[in-house]
Order: sequence, then structure tokens, then C-alpha cells
Amino acid sequence: MNRALDFVRDRSGFEMILIGLSAVYLFLFAGAPFVFNVLMSFQKVDLFNIASIDRPFVGFANYQKILANPDFWLIVRNTVVFVALSSVCQLAGGFALALFFMQDFAGASWLRGLFLAAWITPGYAIGQVWKWMLAGDTGIANYFLRSLHIIDGPVYWLSDPSLALLTITFVNVWLGIPFYLLLISVGLSAIPRDLYEAAELDGANAVQRFCGITLPLMRDTLLALVALGAILTLQQFDLIAALTAGGPVNSSNVAQFWSWQLSFQSYQIGLGSAVSVLMLLVVVVIASIYVAATRSERAA
Amino acid sequence: MNQVELSAVEKHYGEYHALRNIDLSIPEGAFVALIGPSGCGKSTLLRSIAGLEQISSGTISIAGERVNDVPPRRRDVAMVFQSYALYPHMDVERNMTYSLRLRRRSADLIAAAVREAAATLNLSGLLGRYPRELSGGQRQRVAMGRAIVRHPKVFLFDEPLSNLDAELRVKMRGEVRALHERLGATSIYVTHDQIEAMTMADHIVVLKAGRIEQQGPPLALYDRPANRFVAGFIGSPSINFIEGAVTADGGHVTWEGLERPLSLGRRLSAAQRVQIGLRPEHLAVATDGTMAMVVDTIERTGSQTIILGRCGGQPMTVIDHGRPVLARGDNLRLAVAPDHIHLFDPDSGAAV
Ligand SMILES: Nc1ncnc2c1ncn2[C@@H]1O[C@H](COP(=O)(O)OP(=O)(O)OP(=O)(O)O)[C@@H](O)[C@H]1O
Ligand SMILES: [Mg+2]
Repeated sequence: MNRALDFVRDRSGFEMILIGLSAVYLFLFAGAPFVFNVLMSFQKVDLFNIASIDRPFVGFANYQKILANPDFWLIVRNTVVFVALSSVCQLAGGFALALFFMQDFAGASWLRGLFLAAWITPGYAIGQVWKWMLAGDTGIANYFLRSLHIIDGPVYWLSDPSLALLTITFVNVWLGIPFYLLLISVGLSAIPRDLYEAAELDGANAVQRFCGITLPLMRDTLLALVALGAILTLQQFDLIAALTAGGPVNSSNVAQFWSWQLSFQSYQIGLGSAVSVLMLLVVVVIASIYVAATRSERAA
Repeated sequence: MNQVELSAVEKHYGEYHALRNIDLSIPEGAFVALIGPSGCGKSTLLRSIAGLEQISSGTISIAGERVNDVPPRRRDVAMVFQSYALYPHMDVERNMTYSLRLRRRSADLIAAAVREAAATLNLSGLLGRYPRELSGGQRQRVAMGRAIVRHPKVFLFDEPLSNLDAELRVKMRGEVRALHERLGATSIYVTHDQIEAMTMADHIVVLKAGRIEQQGPPLALYDRPANRFVAGFIGSPSINFIEGAVTADGGHVTWEGLERPLSLGRRLSAAQRVQIGLRPEHLAVATDGTMAMVVDTIERTGSQTIILGRCGGQPMTVIDHGRPVLARGDNLRLAVAPDHIHLFDPDSGAAV
């Protein structure tokens, strides 16, 4: 007994307990559901056999049905647009704001903190508020744009099939910018001031300092952020549910919402699982690009 | 012609008055050291010359041109930072050539400049390394290399050796000075180490609380300190100060407890109170000395013996270059030459 206690106290026992706890946690709450999900994507699942694991195997039939679905390519395209456009705009907007807040003006840090206020509001509620603001006939957005004479008639932001996807992308960008702002600010403030001074004396103007010092030193942070941000956007569900529910006629539907619709609205759980497994592959690709990029940096 | 000229420079940080009425002329090719205690404004003065700080009033000119409103990148000055501020994402070669690449110099010229700087500073084998792969001394040399490839009008150094160990510091001291002589460029060197300043500089500027206390050649500051502060700052171990007074005849000084007044070799107004400054190296242990000293502690460095004790009741440090046989409680006799007695006004601190 004493020896076991000594092992925990003085040798690697404590570390092993910590690792063991997180391994158990990961297995119970991430590993097992993941295996369960992959399993379901190869099975015929309906409301009667959902409670048992022993279900008829159907091979790749679920995947074939998904690929053959007439909406499949539309949803792939929407998902790519949603994630790519969101990431680019969040990165650009977050970076610009972070640089702006680095100019130590009065109240800068206070104001920057305020940006995070959006985050204490649940996503679904944010979606509802934006839905009211963007409503075609009664929304404040149209009222505003009309009184500024930017538009003449009402714009149906959420029910016009050519606008719906762009509108939810816009709201998602709005929601994601504080995240980028905060983490980029942290990265920027970790760059020593004297590097900028040395570069200034070396003859670099503001643009050259940005390209020669800021960008290369922020590379890792930005890569990690974009990878993480893209994954968060791939998970974005609340906004879509609140704003358009994928409509009109799937014009703003994206993979994560489609997977939910298949599983929990039409109870084609096998199909929904297949979509989520496909998304998982995309996430793995994004994550490995990030890992490869940061590893090459460290080796350099 | 004066390469750097400051006149009536003032700098405020909000309420705080960091530089007060700084007048300074630095001839081309001079090596000037700025010294003073921590927080006296040395870095602020250097950064003002570089343009990294805006001065509140006064003028700064470089090579005859007023540069108050010229941004740092157009002042053609190079600075070696205390932290070195090497670009972590560039190897040694790219660190040193960044300024030349920004100026779009030809590849041949850049390569030649790197080769020359690397040979001068002994960096040739390290050109492909990143700063994190270098030792402190190597980083310091890269920082110097980054400055010299540019052939700037003025070199600014902000305590460049303070992160090095004592041995390397002494070695680099000589190298920096040798480099200065080779390049012949104007250098301004900040340090709080008075030995560094004394050994390297042609001209020393002593700062205290944002004000210039005295400036001049090193030995002039040592021999004729303008005030008590400069006398105490320059010299190591530092000068002994004793509260005393001029005797009634005006030709001697004395203090309570001293048996025989010290001859001054000059006449002062009688009976005024003074602070007497006696450098430890100017006090000689001599059997016919007029001052009696009681030994407290003896420190032997091999080349010299530092004797600490009391002389006429006042604490006194003496340096002896021999190896006297002494023990605690021994009595000595000390002598001092009249022109080695420094006197200061006890209120203003100015030399009398
Ligand atoms: N940005 C600033 N804002 C306010 N006060 C400052 C600022 N920079 C420096 N000071 C003050 O100005 C004074 C001079 O600072 P400076 O850095 O020039 O000192 P220094 O002589 O270089 O000291 P050290 O030997 O410690 O480097 C200090 O009292 C410091 O607190
Ligand atoms: Mg300093």
C-alpha cells in the first residue's frame, strides 16, 4: 500500500493517473459516440432498432444514397461557400480589428472586451434577433437601408434563395469576429515591441513591418485560428436553425444541418450518420493541414 | 563638423520630466558614452536621437540636418538594443541584410556586405543559424553585424554588453572599440558601467535625473569631477566622502577626529564647511603619513589589497598595490597629495 502511494507521490504515478482520467473521459464521451456513429452509417437504422447495436448491415448503401441525392452537390457547394467565405471574412475582419485595437487609444481594452458580449448570448437567440432585424417587411435592416437610399424596395434577406446563404454567412461572420479578434490580439501582443523598433530603424515602413514582422510571426497563430474557426463554422447549427432552417428549398442548407434533418426530422438515422462521417473526414483533413504546416515551421 | 547636435532637448512623459535641457555636441567619428544610474534617462536620450521617442521641445540634428520630424527610418542611424531584438524568423544572414533588402540593394552588394561583416565579427560559420540557436555572445555580434552592414551615419548602443558574462564583456569591450576605430563612425554608447565608459569612450556624458551633470574626456571627469555626484559615480571602489571644514588659515582641511589637518596647497575662504573626497587609490600607506587609520577588513584580489577601516573616526577605503601584512585592529598611517583632495560644497554638491 505504502509503495503504491510512493509511486503516485514521487514517481510517474501521478502523471499516469492524469493521463488515465482524460483517456477514460475521451473514450466515454468522444470515442464511444464516434464509433457508434460510424457503425450506424453502415447499418439500416430505424426507430424500432435504434436501441440495440445489433442492426442489419447495409455496407455502403447509406453513402450511395447520400451521393445520389439530388441535393447532395448543392449542399456540398453551400457548405464550401459557407465555411470558406466565413473563414476569410472572419480572419480579415478579426485581424483588422485586432490591429486597430493595438493602437492604444483611450478605452481600447474596455471596448475590446465589449466585443465578447455577443458570446454570452445563446446562438439560437442571436439567430432569432437577427431574423427579426432582417425580416423583409418589418425588419430594421431594410428600414435603415431604405432611409439611407441604398435600396428602394424591401430585400428578402432570408427568403430570397440567392441571398439566404450569404445572409447566414454574414451573421456567422459577425458572430465569429470576436473570437478571431481576441486570439489575434493575444498573438500580436506577444510580439516584442523592440522588433518593430529595430525594423523601423532598418528602414521598414508600416506596410513592410506588417509583411516582414507581423505576418511571419503570426503565421502559426493564424493557421491554428483558421483551422479552429473553420471547424467551429462547420459545427454552426443554431444560427441556421433560427434563421432559415436550410431554406428556401435547400438554398441555404449546409452539411451539418442536413445531417440533423436526415437523422431527427425524417428519421433516416443511417443517412444522417453517413453525412456526419463524411464531414468528419473533412475536419481530419483540415486538422492535418494545420499540423503539417506548424510542424514544418518548427523544423525550419 | 558635429555629426549629432542636441540643443535644449526636453522630454516629458505626461507629468514625468525625463530629460531636462540637454545640450550635446558630438563630433564626427567620436565615441561618446552616456552613463548614469538606472532610470536617469539614458535610454530615453538615445531613443530620442533614434527617433523612437518624440521629444517635447528643443532640436536634434544629425549631419547638419534638423531631424525632429524625420521618422526613424529616414534618420540613417543604427541601434544595437539591450535585448538585441533579432528577428526570430530570420537566420543570421537575413537578420543582417534586412535593411539592405528593404533598400533594394543589388544581390552582389548584399553578399559582399554580409561577407565583410561576418568576417569582421567572426560570424562566418553561423550565417544559416536562427537567433534561438545562438549563444548570448553570438547574438550580440549578430546585432552588431546588423548595424554595421548599413554603414549608418551614427551607431547607437543601448547597454549592448549587459547580458554577457564578465569575461566576455571585457573581450567585447575591446572588440567594440576596435570596430569603432576601423569604421570611424560616430558612436553613442549607453552604459551604467563606469569602467566600460572610461575604457571605451573619448567623451563621457554623466546623466542624473534627466540632467547632464558633467561631460568631457574620461580622465578629465576622473581628475576634476564637477560635483559630488560625478566624483562618486566615477572610480571603483568609489571615492571616500567625509564631512569636514577648511581650517582658519584657509590652507588646510580637517574633520573631527583627525589629528593633523591636511594641506591643500591652495587658499580657500576660511572655516567654510566642505565635503572632502579622497579616492582609495590616492591614499598611500606610509610610515610618515599624517592620518592614522584603524583597520577593520582586508580584501585581497592578488594584484591589490583593499583595506577598509576608520580614519579619524570616519569610514575609509584604501587601495594598496603591495601585499602588506595586516590584521584587524592594526594601526596604519596614510598620506595623500594635496592635488588629490577633492572638495565639494556640502549643500549644492558643486566642486569647490
Ligand atoms: N514610456 C514611458 N512612460 C513614462 N515614463 C517613462 C517611459 N519610459 C521611460 N520612462 C521613465 O523615464 C525615466 C528614464 O527612463 P530610461 O529608460 O531612459 O532610463 P535609463 O537611464 O535607460 O535606465 P536603465 O539604466 O535602467 O536602463 C525612468 O524614470 C522611466 O520610469
Ligand atoms: Mg535603459
